[in-house]
Amino acid sequence: MDSNKKYWKGLEELNKTPEFVEKNKHEFAEPLPIEEVLSGAGLASKTPRRDFLKALGFGVGAVTLAACQKVPVHKSIPYLIKPEEVTPGVANYYTSTYNGHAILVKTREGRPIKIEGNPNDLLAGGGLSAQGQASVLDLYNSNRVKDPKINGGDAGWEQLDDFVIAQLTAIQAAGKGIRVITSTVHSPSTQAVIADFIAKYPATKHINYDAYSYSGIIRANQQSFGKAVIPHYNFDKADVIVSFAADFLGSWISGEEFTRQYVSNRGSKSLEEKKMSRHIQFESGMSVTGTNADNRFPIKLSEEGLALVALYNAISGTTLPGTKKLTSANADTAIVLAAKELLAAKGKALVVCGSNSVSKQVLVNAINSLLGSYGTTIDLDNPSNQYKGNDAEFVAFIEEAKRGEIGAALFLDANPAYDYFNRKDLKDALAKIKLKVSFSDQSDETASLCNVIAPNHHYLESWGDDNSIAGYYTVVQPTINPVYNTRQAEQSLLIWSGSTVQDYYTYVRNNWTTNLLALGGLSGEAGWESLLQTGFIKTTPATASAYAFAGDINTAAQNVITNSAALAAPEDKVEVQLYQSTGVGDGRYANNPWLQELPDAVSKVTWDNYAAIAPKYAEKLGLEEGDVVKIEANGYAVEVPVLFQPGQAQGTVSIAVGYGRTHAGMVGNGVGANVYPFSSFRGGTIHKALVASLSKTGDVSPLAQTQTHHSFEGRDVIRETTFKDYVKDPASGSGHGQHHKMYDLWENSKFEKPIHHWGMAIDLNACTGCGACIVACNVENNIPVVGKDEVRRRREMHWIRIDRYYSYANAGKKAEEVEENGTVTREKEIEKLDDLDNVTVVHQPMLCQHCDHAPCETVCPVLATVHSSEGLNQMAYNRCVGTRYCANNCPYKVRRFNWFNYWNDSRFDNYLQNEHTQLVLNPDVTTRFRGVMEKCSFCVQRIQAGKLKAKIEKRPLKDGDVKVACAQTCSANAIIFGDLNDPNSELSKALKSERTYYVLQELNVQPGIGYQVKVRNNIETELQA
Amino acid sequence: MRNISLIFKQITRSVLLVAGLALLGSSASAQDDAAKGETIFKAKCSACHKIDQRSTGPALGERMASETDDAYLVKWIQNSQALVAAGDKRAVAVFKEFNEVMMPPFADLAEADIKNIISYVRAEKAKAAAAPAAGDAAAPAETGPSGLLIWGLIGVIVIAFIVIIVLNKVIVTLERVVVKNKDLVLEEVEEQPEVDKLAGIKKALKNKKLVFFIVLCGIVALGSWSWVTMWNTNMHQGYQPVQPIKYSHELHAGAMKIDCQYCHTGAYKSKNASIPSLNVCMNCHKAVKTESPEIHKIYDALGYDPETAKYDESKAKPIQWVRVHNLPDFAYFNHSQHVVVGGIKCQQCHGPIQTMEEVYQYSPLTMKWCIQCHKRTEVNSKGNAYYDKVLATHDRIKKGEKPTAAALGGLDCAKCHY
Repeated sequence: MDSNKKYWKGLEELNKTPEFVEKNKHEFAEPLPIEEVLSGAGLASKTPRRDFLKALGFGVGAVTLAACQKVPVHKSIPYLIKPEEVTPGVANYYTSTYNGHAILVKTREGRPIKIEGNPNDLLAGGGLSAQGQASVLDLYNSNRVKDPKINGGDAGWEQLDDFVIAQLTAIQAAGKGIRVITSTVHSPSTQAVIADFIAKYPATKHINYDAYSYSGIIRANQQSFGKAVIPHYNFDKADVIVSFAADFLGSWISGEEFTRQYVSNRGSKSLEEKKMSRHIQFESGMSVTGTNADNRFPIKLSEEGLALVALYNAISGTTLPGTKKLTSANADTAIVLAAKELLAAKGKALVVCGSNSVSKQVLVNAINSLLGSYGTTIDLDNPSNQYKGNDAEFVAFIEEAKRGEIGAALFLDANPAYDYFNRKDLKDALAKIKLKVSFSDQSDETASLCNVIAPNHHYLESWGDDNSIAGYYTVVQPTINPVYNTRQAEQSLLIWSGSTVQDYYTYVRNNWTTNLLALGGLSGEAGWESLLQTGFIKTTPATASAYAFAGDINTAAQNVITNSAALAAPEDKVEVQLYQSTGVGDGRYANNPWLQELPDAVSKVTWDNYAAIAPKYAEKLGLEEGDVVKIEANGYAVEVPVLFQPGQAQGTVSIAVGYGRTHAGMVGNGVGANVYPFSSFRGGTIHKALVASLSKTGDVSPLAQTQTHHSFEGRDVIRETTFKDYVKDPASGSGHGQHHKMYDLWENSKFEKPIHHWGMAIDLNACTGCGACIVACNVENNIPVVGKDEVRRRREMHWIRIDRYYSYANAGKKAEEVEENGTVTREKEIEKLDDLDNVTVVHQPMLCQHCDHAPCETVCPVLATVHSSEGLNQMAYNRCVGTRYCANNCPYKVRRFNWFNYWNDSRFDNYLQNEHTQLVLNPDVTTRFRGVMEKCSFCVQRIQAGKLKAKIEKRPLKDGDVKVACAQTCSANAIIFGDLNDPNSELSKALKSERTYYVLQELNVQPGIGYQVKVRNNIETELQA
Repeated sequence: MRNISLIFKQITRSVLLVAGLALLGSSASAQDDAAKGETIFKAKCSACHKIDQRSTGPALGERMASETDDAYLVKWIQNSQALVAAGDKRAVAVFKEFNEVMMPPFADLAEADIKNIISYVRAEKAKAAAAPAAGDAAAPAETGPSGLLIWGLIGVIVIAFIVIIVLNKVIVTLERVVVKNKDLVLEEVEEQPEVDKLAGIKKALKNKKLVFFIVLCGIVALGSWSWVTMWNTNMHQGYQPVQPIKYSHELHAGAMKIDCQYCHTGAYKSKNASIPSLNVCMNCHKAVKTESPEIHKIYDALGYDPETAKYDESKAKPIQWVRVHNLPDFAYFNHSQHVVVGGIKCQQCHGPIQTMEEVYQYSPLTMKWCIQCHKRTEVNSKGNAYYDKVLATHDRIKKGEKPTAAALGGLDCAKCHY
């Protein structure tokens, strides 16, 4: 590569700390005790002959005895009466809905084992988030509530119904209020059920309450356009995107959908047409979206508002009163440049903001209105229903309850006892409510404060429907009989409201028959059946029209400026931002071990939340990485470890919500700290930004961070170019034309792949680093969860990892000088730290490369890993004796060793070997035993199944018949899998791209995975970013 | 008076004679009808009806015996659906009782035919009713002679044996006597080599080379025996566990020639051939062999009551068959690949299953055995478009070689291990 840009995975690698150097000398971080024995007194000490004979005799005897066991008798128990649609050994797929996405549920012998996006899903087009992939495990969660409960004791459903109906009737008669509190309901049938309930008990009010709410956007749109909705954003129509801390590729509103849209403007197809959108991000903490931006500028939380005002000024050409300059001149200039870009792309521009402040959102609306975004990139006529949470209503409810005006509260999918900021108020309020019903299927924090628990079904056991965005209706159908004695919440509500239809399935069907089927041009029994097959209907969307901004820009700006001043931390305090991490999200999935062990997309930390601080700022505060700090504000304090985060704005700290659950279950309890109580209610919405004091506790808690676990030892594995260079020369940055002296161990033999030659292409420009592929791979391939302690020991088992590389945004000019000088002066060291604010990021999915000349294969003494005639690097577990030579010899560091028998070891009790959790295993993939090496198999079980299907149907294998789990779930379509022997396959076409390069191709191991150069469409300026 | 009594006797005789003849004639004609009825019954009715047991349809004996209106029965048999449609109460009740299974109309049966059937059924019913009464009396009489017979036979055989043994003894003694008397020297000559033999062994024992050789042979024999034993550890060829139900493949697959896939439906679609669920058994055994205690095990497992033909799910408990063919967990095997794509007969791996009273493991199921077959078997590619391109490429590379499974990648580890 022509540039001498330097990439690093973590600061320890950048700084070459002694610990890092030491650990990377060895393939396995912890030396084996055998080495101590051999080098120390072990060999020198004498073993008496008698002892030796004793040990030998006992050993032989014990082994013989252990071997003398009878072969177990295996029973085979067929169905008594086999359901017609079940064939043992063959998977069935059912359409359903996860969180608004149409999905396919794979079931084997009647139990769901995998969730996949429905390829026709309007939102993500077949992709699914990490949470969606992991949600199947929650079905088998042993912490679920197994029976209905009244006052903590088990009760029958009839008893519970009598109790609740009597109470509700009494409360209604007493003239007290009833509240149904739910996280946003976007199911038409559930809405209808709640409406029926309100009709029966007119004192009822329904409140949507979201842990991480978007009230600000809804209220702002009400003020600006008279429409209280979240609009539908079209990132695919935007040529220039400016985001103010909106993590739209991650947790913001509809991450998977936006990822698909965003990449459609930046991926291979778009690049071939020489088109690529430009994305500028202003934020304080480094988000997934920030890592993908073409230009990213760290700004303080308190300056986010000022930046918005500045952008408005630059675009409108006016100056709002109270306008202030930003502390960073860099950012100030960037705002002007961004404005220029946006204006140039008028009608194809989009500005989004992640804040929940109404004033900020009004300002954003004004900017978008000036840019002509309404009707093009923002669609107010087909709004999103995904989040309707109304913070003010919930706060009002708490006040009412405290005054004793509320008689009953019903909580459905809402857990305010954990995620509401004012815990004391909530407790006081709940204490005054006579009837508290929780529908939670897990006895969460709120359920533990309720006197009635009417456990709901898991969504895979439920009937239902969904309407996540206007005109898109999906259906939820059960794929398993209820595992426990639970009942769908809607059915409970129907019974309590004395509905004529008490069966929720019938209710849903009636609702569809009368209201919804016709929207999709369907009707009657046949229509319903066709719906169950396709999974959704969509109506022709309303024409998106332009809207004139009718808000009060001056007041909004004034509010923004005042609030910014309030957020500006004095010298001894820090500005704290609360965000949602990629795995655990808002905390709902805290008990899911797959998500806890999923490394965060940016920090690569597992099993914890932490205070992300810029390295320079941490140095100023005298903090080391892993130091536990106490963060205190609003009379609440948490203790979390420190993480050095390049790109974090100075003076700010970012902490993830969703941790610190107390009633999540065995896995999630006590992981991290709960920071929800730091939120505050201002101007009608709940804010997740605050000023807090930070102090060192003196404790140290090393993070389980995977970023430098599998090191390339500084080899050049990332290829990057700019869009400008790409347009000039599509092969720029790909390293083509460079020649190395090639060595080959296989000179004399050539291996044929006569039938198929499986390979993969990964587009670094499409991969956003979200990590959904990791969880999909875990589910598909029965990959064990090892826990925090083992991850600290570098023993995570993930077959696919996403390496996240930082580099200096200024193309390494200044920093490289520092490096090359050898001895680093103090001044220059500080300069380097300055640069750590402005870093760019590349995500690189790394998995077994299935090298044709695989270095692992030559060193295996027992031929446990050999090459197949289809180009696969095979791993025969039953042959492996665990020498680990292969892992040592693998230049990509993608082989994983089973240090324990994770499937039957009490130390891993919390994870995947509970009462029912093993039911989630894929029966077509072996679970590996202790002492065995494993790695990516290219989902060989799917390859075999795909081939068999073609053979049975007597047809050639078509491109796309075989989709590996990681490629299947990728909303960005960054991974393409296919047959290299088929010249017309998507893969063959993709690999012909000039951007294709092979990682470490100079080693001549002939990897089977081609990567495509990352292209950055950054602004060409004198800026340092 | 004598005359009178004589006349009376004569009259009585003649009356009795006439009555007897008439009765004889009528019963003969009734028998005739019943015979005709039997033929028709077996041809047309027995698929769904039995005399004394309910089957797909009601037990006919009870119904026809208690029914007095033959015309009604004729109507019923000729077109039962018409009766049901007309709303006849009894017809509807029966129709409902038997899960609304429609009885096909038999318009081709004349009224006489139907009457023949009725008389056959009634006669059979009467016989069945008489049988238990007769059976009670006959039972001891019947078992008596048979027991006597068996004991008698055993006695005869024992005596015959004793006679044979005694005779043998006698013959031997006589022969000895004859030999003694004839030639005494002969016996002496016979004794001498015996002495030589012992001497030879003693002499041989002194030959160290020979001893070494024999010991070596022993070690080799013992060694190879233990080698073979260990080599075959965990190999269960011939494994023949006792199954909870004495199901005979010999009868079903052999004598009855039922296709394997009638029960093992999975073999054509799935990796598992699958043991049939009990509803498959019930397709036939709802009607066939309903009295067998083995079949009753199926009924018990299903919670099925043959009297009422009702299932009681609360009584159902699955049958735990013992798995005969056990592949280790790390080996993936797919039936449909071999049976459908490969076109391999079940017997190739499972042996002469149609002759097995009780199933045993025919093949060793070792990896060597798998590999051998993959090396020898030519791929069944005829008419399968999947292989068209594959074979073309293969031919280009390896000319003259057979396209065996192995040549097309059938020996790759990841074909079976993943």
